[in-house]
Amino acid sequence: MKCIITIELGTNAVRIFAFGLNGIAIGSMKGYYPTFHTQPDYSEQDPEQIFITMLYVLKNLMNEIIHPKKYKVASVCFSSSMHSTLAVDKHGVPLGNAYTWADNRAKKEAIEIKGSSIADAMYSSTGTPLHPMSPMLKIAWMKNNDQEKFLQAGKFLSIKSYVIHQLTGEYMIDYSLACASGILNIHKVTWEQEALNFAGITTDKLPQLVPVFATAGTLKKAYQNSLGLSADTKILIGSSDGCLATLGAGIWNSDKATITIEDSSAVRVVGNKILHDEKKRIFNYLITENCFVSGGPSNSGGGTFEWFAKQFGDFATAYDLESCMNSLLQEATKVSIGSGGLLFLPYLLGERAPIWNPDARGMFFGINIKHEREHFIRATIEGILYEIYSVGKMLAEHRNISALSVNGSFATIPFCTQMIADMFNKQVYVTKNSNSVSSGAFLLAATEMGIFKSLDEAAGQIEIADSYSPGENHHHTYIKYFEIFESLSNKLGDEFAKIAELQEKNQ
Amino acid sequence: MNQFVLIQGSSEELNLFPHIIELGVIKNSSIQLNAFPKVLMQGVKFFYVLDGKFHWYIHDGEYILFPGDVAMILPGQEFGSSTAVLEVGSFSFLHINADLKDADEIVLDKWSSLSGNEITAISKILLLSNPLIITKINEAGRIIKCIHQELSNQEVGYFARVNNHIDELFILLTRQLTRQNNPGRDFHKTFMKLDDALRKDIAHQWTVDEMAALAGLGNTLFNEKVKSYTGFTPLNYLINIRISEAIKLLKKPQVSITDIAFDTGFYSSQHFSTTFKKLTGFTPGEFRKNNSYNE
Repeated sequence: MKCIITIELGTNAVRIFAFGLNGIAIGSMKGYYPTFHTQPDYSEQDPEQIFITMLYVLKNLMNEIIHPKKYKVASVCFSSSMHSTLAVDKHGVPLGNAYTWADNRAKKEAIEIKGSSIADAMYSSTGTPLHPMSPMLKIAWMKNNDQEKFLQAGKFLSIKSYVIHQLTGEYMIDYSLACASGILNIHKVTWEQEALNFAGITTDKLPQLVPVFATAGTLKKAYQNSLGLSADTKILIGSSDGCLATLGAGIWNSDKATITIEDSSAVRVVGNKILHDEKKRIFNYLITENCFVSGGPSNSGGGTFEWFAKQFGDFATAYDLESCMNSLLQEATKVSIGSGGLLFLPYLLGERAPIWNPDARGMFFGINIKHEREHFIRATIEGILYEIYSVGKMLAEHRNISALSVNGSFATIPFCTQMIADMFNKQVYVTKNSNSVSSGAFLLAATEMGIFKSLDEAAGQIEIADSYSPGENHHHTYIKYFEIFESLSNKLGDEFAKIAELQEKNQ
Repeated sequence: MNQFVLIQGSSEELNLFPHIIELGVIKNSSIQLNAFPKVLMQGVKFFYVLDGKFHWYIHDGEYILFPGDVAMILPGQEFGSSTAVLEVGSFSFLHINADLKDADEIVLDKWSSLSGNEITAISKILLLSNPLIITKINEAGRIIKCIHQELSNQEVGYFARVNNHIDELFILLTRQLTRQNNPGRDFHKTFMKLDDALRKDIAHQWTVDEMAALAGLGNTLFNEKVKSYTGFTPLNYLINIRISEAIKLLKKPQVSITDIAFDTGFYSSQHFSTTFKKLTGFTPGEFRKNNSYNE
């Protein structure tokens, strides 16, 4: 029997799934790797540990599930988080750690380019907001601050490109992940000269650009032997976690949007046009010819609620963080919509879409003498979701959104899903497979094998497990509070900058 | 408790206990200049604050101690008052003989009934915690008091009792320290600290006991938590770090494979080779050959 393996190189862990050709998961395993924050704004990971962890988990999955059940692996499809940047020397040996998506060291470079005359042209050619997360700016940072490494670098890779190079010896990157680098011209599908100039590199320093369906070379003999994979096992380059989560949510060329909320979150739509936003707030990732995933990422999400639980949760009775968060959710249900007029801005980590302000900070607003503990709990959850709503509102300026599909551990908590339906005043669907990135990677690989004619058809296979309807008048109540939320987020720009500066000084 | 000091050599209560340098209670009712200067510690010293508030310099910084707090000073650490002033208040203290072996293991003599492994684990935790201040631990004050009573009363079995009490003090403080350093609500933070400690001493033959103790958890719960957090058992997670470090070193032609094996914590080059091959499909030698380049 044939099967498909998907490998997701995520933010904190690698997750490997095996699917039968019918799309049913046969098994899955994960392996954690750490993120190092050696300085404020730095966020790094060890490429060797990521590679070894991936290999170890894959080997365990093969030995414990695939081989005993006598499956033959038809293809292995990759996905990874976006914006990672790793310099390797001319032999492919890493020059230190990789910078993750959360690395903000290129702040200055971001400010410089945002204020420059090329800002508009850069956004329209690359379709990506100018933000320190962008590998283009990270490379420019290296050029300005770590000359030695910059000059020694033979290539600048993403984590996924590095892992694939270890496995097959090829340097490759797919279009969709390349879009996240801020260097790809999404109209011409070639590296953008203006971006290369800003980063200070030439195209030979970047991996080869290939479509998401491309085979990324052949698995090295030693890995074929140690994993028990045959030479004809296809190694598919695949896509990014964001694009595949969208595919796995069953959203494709429709007027639906998908909301993903894990630690951080994103709202995305798919279509055949690039969404050109005057304010340069929306990203656009090219998947296949004339097919784009567009949307906005937010730094807040489940991670924000986890922060609240750690600080203010009741650990006297709770066994661990999860049970503590569950009892907080219970308490939140006691308070009615709007948290009695208590508002929370969830900008603990600065914010990307829609305000794109790394200096933004969190706050509770409107506290009065009647507010109790449970108001704060509910306000925190509402604040996180108001932010999601504001990303959705930004997309709605460009695209009609008729319904939503949610995934991710936070968004699929029934209390949160219902709140999303109420805020947006739209029908919300929850899909069957809880891991939409893996489902998306499976659909991509299955389409490549010819099981589906197109990604469109593939996305249609996703089954809906549950559906939430908006409550009557709830939207109306939420919107009144949201208006204050929105104006506070925009108004506080100066104060955010000042407090962020003080916080940085006093670290 | 009244003020007293027992000193090795002059107090006969300590004749049977050559490892106890000093034991006492100080009650200080007025500020004394130049009475408490900074000194370099020899042996291990425990201070338990009974009363007042003390500004002490411990190892590398100034800290404030309140009643119920314990400060523990290890061999070679600086300790005292930055201004040499002895402030108003009272404290009990115990000073015992102990050395540091290879800068990473506290050596206690035969009087202690702690096993070798236990001392290794305790040393690791004490040396990784900075400063060694354990807050609100009245039990420690009680133990020091008991040691004094045993020494004064000399009832039958007091020799064993005194030494047991000192062991107990080490155990109590170490356990409390791991709990204090690892609040249960944030396993991520606890794990990152553990990860950091493993990396800083990857050549060490870590045991699950030591790792669990660093995380402030019992072995069973520790295994369970690590497995669900990382997907690996603690020892397999450690292998990930060892092999990743080994890969980096293998890519540098100047380090010998035997050295790499020991530097990354494998107990032999054979052990290294088998583990490496099992995981990567290559022997370390083959891996090096594939990744070496003539400049």
